[in-house]
Amino acid sequence: MDTEPKIDWHSPKIQAYLKAVSRTFTNEGTLVAFPTCFPGMTVPMPLEESHITALEVTPDGIIFGGTSGRQSHLFVAAMHRLTGIVFDLGTPDGATHCAAVCWGSPGPAAGESGGSRLLAFVNGPRGGRAVSSPAPDMDEDLIQEWGFDDRKLTDHGECAPGEPVVHAIADASHKFAVGVTAGHLFTTDLAAPQIRVVGEVSAKGRIALASRGGFVGQDGGAHLWHYDPSTRALQGQAVKLPEGSWDHPLSWARDAQTGLLYTADTEGRLFSFDESAGFSGPLGRTALGPVGPMAVTFDGRVFGFCGDEIANMFCYDPGLREVSNLGVAASVIERRRYGYVFGDAVTGRDGEIVFGENDNGGHLWIYFPRIRSARA
Amino acid sequence: MKESGIGRREFLQAGTGVLSAGFMLAGAAAKAAGLQGGREEYGVKWYPFDKWPISDTCWAVSVGPDGRVYAAACAEGVPGGVVKPVRYNEQRDDLDYLFDLGEKVDDPGDSGRATQCKIHYSFAPSMHDGVMYMATHLSGPPFDLPVYSPWYSWHDEKRCFRGSALLAYDTRKDQVLWWDTLVPKEGCRCLLHDEERGLLYAMSYPRDHFIIYDLKARKRRDLGRISSINPQALFIDKQHRVWTTNDDGHLVRYSPDKDRLEVSPDILPHAAYETGWHSVFYDVAPSPDRECVYASTWAPNPYLMRIWPNEGEWPRIESLGPATQERDLTVPMSMFQDHCGGLVFGGDGKLYYVASRWRESVHSLPSSREEGEGVVWRLDPATLKREEVTLLVHPNGSAQYVSRGAVDHNGDLFFGHIGSHPAGIFKVAMPASRKRPNAHLPIRMWG
Repeated sequence: MDTEPKIDWHSPKIQAYLKAVSRTFTNEGTLVAFPTCFPGMTVPMPLEESHITALEVTPDGIIFGGTSGRQSHLFVAAMHRLTGIVFDLGTPDGATHCAAVCWGSPGPAAGESGGSRLLAFVNGPRGGRAVSSPAPDMDEDLIQEWGFDDRKLTDHGECAPGEPVVHAIADASHKFAVGVTAGHLFTTDLAAPQIRVVGEVSAKGRIALASRGGFVGQDGGAHLWHYDPSTRALQGQAVKLPEGSWDHPLSWARDAQTGLLYTADTEGRLFSFDESAGFSGPLGRTALGPVGPMAVTFDGRVFGFCGDEIANMFCYDPGLREVSNLGVAASVIERRRYGYVFGDAVTGRDGEIVFGENDNGGHLWIYFPRIRSARA
Repeated sequence: MKESGIGRREFLQAGTGVLSAGFMLAGAAAKAAGLQGGREEYGVKWYPFDKWPISDTCWAVSVGPDGRVYAAACAEGVPGGVVKPVRYNEQRDDLDYLFDLGEKVDDPGDSGRATQCKIHYSFAPSMHDGVMYMATHLSGPPFDLPVYSPWYSWHDEKRCFRGSALLAYDTRKDQVLWWDTLVPKEGCRCLLHDEERGLLYAMSYPRDHFIIYDLKARKRRDLGRISSINPQALFIDKQHRVWTTNDDGHLVRYSPDKDRLEVSPDILPHAAYETGWHSVFYDVAPSPDRECVYASTWAPNPYLMRIWPNEGEWPRIESLGPATQERDLTVPMSMFQDHCGGLVFGGDGKLYYVASRWRESVHSLPSSREEGEGVVWRLDPATLKREEVTLLVHPNGSAQYVSRGAVDHNGDLFFGHIGSHPAGIFKVAMPASRKRPNAHLPIRMWG
């Protein structure tokens, strides 16, 4: 090709292409990447130890998390009031992967982070273990002057001998957690952790708290198991997954207002799940598959990431029954960064979505959805 | 494009359309620089890639294991454009066009994918066998599309860049011995060869991953992401540690003994009003004794520095100050106007580099050689004194942006130029007293 080919820049095809390219990055709402440190005061977690793979949030917006990589770190983060920090709680011995973090509220202070506890489930050469830490007080004035208490991690042992932990979540009251290893389901009290194996499951992917208080997770290829904490009954292959492709481990998002769950098949077809009514039909399809972490904001919209290597953000609007592609993550406020791979998502205090970046030098990404017009 | 602004695409497309070959400008350069009157003269000559008229950039200029200078005639702004490596032929005082790279790696310009359009700081010599390794980079659009975004097309099998092509070019036989895909779907921003260990190191784009390629096994290892802003250079120290930079201007080091990437506590020198963000390496040249390197940063108000990687847990870094002139700091500056590159040691043991100089508003695209000058500086490592020795005068345009510099076996300097159509290189003939045979040795092992 010795001469420059002629392209009609004004043709509808080229104009449409250029418009699509111009919408490549975060084309709706605002993403802000926050480093794993107290910016200006501490350094971020080491490059290869900061893949954020687990998140949990308290009602007042305190975020707990865990990382994976050469060494797992547990952390607590606060983004409201006079905070703005990711506080590294330490590194569980030998752990290289954090499968889940749960926030436990021990008593009358429910709803507050003070006096509460972080329980993390980590994997490594020493097996899949539960590790806890008291949650530090995040009510300091991090503009003016501050002080912190020492924190100490407590190891509560393996969850099931020789099996890595796949995932775990807390119940609605944050009194206990339910988790799965590769072959077993277990429970534990969150205030005074003690692992109790309930039974066998063929666990894959994440688990979810359903609308009536039951726990569900993928059971092999085409079903869900179901655990009822009130009766301690574990039922394998309790629910058949809808028609679809279910090779990829499941991820979930939960609408806190209704308890409705969302999940997707490997090709990005979205479904909702109600513990009474079961699965919906396909709600829509993301631009890419598989679907990774996602969460539901207060108005019911689902935000998440889809696609490998360089993920795209999507929004499912249940009011419109539409899936839209919001592009590749980019942060240009304070921290300038592209975001490619994400490990977990939670809904923050005010409906913002917090994503954990599962990459070298991972950041917490806070997504502020676009406010919809009242006249729409 | 704003009327008064200039973005990357505009800069690359707005280059002058000069096809005049072999335009001797030594006199004009010396006059413009005021260097007459008993001082040593440096002859400047412009060599446009006129046999590859669609070329629009020249990012790679390196000396090969044979002591000759190789350059990349890139065609990145042209739909379907493909790079052609060229070599300076001292017998003919002209350029030899070696091959169409797309054809060599079975990825032609009309494939429908983003093209093998350029080599970006990614020549790396191999002394024991006379091979010049070269790896391609992306950005050239498919033949039927006007632009290419690697993020937008990442998941599009028909449009996505196939991957950086790594070629082993035998400079003795003038043939490509073999090729492989160095990084699938991504380009190679910069390349380094650790010849003793048979490893190539690369930074990928756009994901900014650190890549190790085992030449014997022809296997790639991806150590993962470093940052967002691609560093433009890698360098290696005596302990075989490979160094680059992250977004915030910290050094990033790969230590083979530890097999991990580490980040330095300190930030590279930068202007006081900046934070260090974007103080990534633009160019790094090794000192002849290999005890230190000289580097410039890829940011407006680029800084020069000297880094001693063999000292201490983390290197001692000396700031050599800004490379370009003072300006109004309240106005954002084009990176295509405020620039420093082409760092190379001459046979006289002095560091040469090219820094931009401008005279008018920082907003203006330099449209003449008076408005955007490429000043060749000579820095004495012993005293750190620097002197202006000549100007790179383009026959009909500005010459303020130089990508890389190289010294050939005769001791003459060559600089890659960005901003003209076709692109090309400058040769700066060294004064006789400052030349020496085999001035390219010990050879620089990175692009």
